[in-house]
Amino acid sequence: MTAEELRETIARQFGRSLHIRTLDTGSCAVCEQEIRLLAAPHYDLNRLGFFFTPAPRHADLLLVTGPMIRAFAVAARKTYDAMPGPKIVVATGACALGGVYPDDAFTHGTVDAVLPVDVWIPGCPPSPLALLHGLGVAVGRLADKVRDLPFTEDRDPERTRGGS
Amino acid sequence: MTLWFIRGLRRGVVTTRYPARPDASGPSLPAPPAFRPQALTSHTADLLAAICPSGALRRDRGVLVYDVGRCTACGRCAAKAPHAVTRSCEFELATTDRSALIKEIPVREEAR
Repeated sequence: MTAEELRETIARQFGRSLHIRTLDTGSCAVCEQEIRLLAAPHYDLNRLGFFFTPAPRHADLLLVTGPMIRAFAVAARKTYDAMPGPKIVVATGACALGGVYPDDAFTHGTVDAVLPVDVWIPGCPPSPLALLHGLGVAVGRLADKVRDLPFTEDRDPERTRGGS
Repeated sequence: MTLWFIRGLRRGVVTTRYPARPDASGPSLPAPPAFRPQALTSHTADLLAAICPSGALRRDRGVLVYDVGRCTACGRCAAKAPHAVTRSCEFELATTDRSALIKEIPVREEAR
């Protein structure tokens, strides 16, 4: 999908622009640094019709980072409830996908435990390009292609160093 | 001010064209590893599942269950078994289906 098609999809579904509210549920803030870079000149997410907003009342998309600490679960739920529909929840980073923290007395371990997640973006942290792809998947179905990736490589192992 | 303007003209547009065109930095980004089933023996798979700090690798009967969503790309598996683990160079991993991120890597059983 090209940027033009992505822009058209956003225009159709969300009236020309999509506003993003980021929600830190106990992350180490590296995901936030990568999200912040989306607004930098190199990535410039405004060219695709995405904008950051500080208020959940104005947001269409909730970009959740962190392992969802239990102390924050009520606030996360309230943030989600405050958003007008239609709304999208994007779980960002390995913490939010259950990779770093267990489900214990302090954290839920995953964002899914509290919020209905629509799109998952892996990575620790996900790079700005991965975040852009994730936002594209969230709005315009920008080729959700991970299902077809085997993560296996059948090249000759003799070619690499190390041997077997 | 004028110098900045000239500098900007000389350097051109820095903004990536990413969704329309691939970005040059894409293949060099940190990415979850891929595996070589030819070199992945059951012994190596047990070892990798034991050292994975985020629980992304788990052993099941005959396969190595690989949850790409949990992987933090720390590189410990690649350091432990460089012959069986390689770079995937994939960063477009966002998905609307969590189960699509869980892969089953076939493991070569060794008679030993």
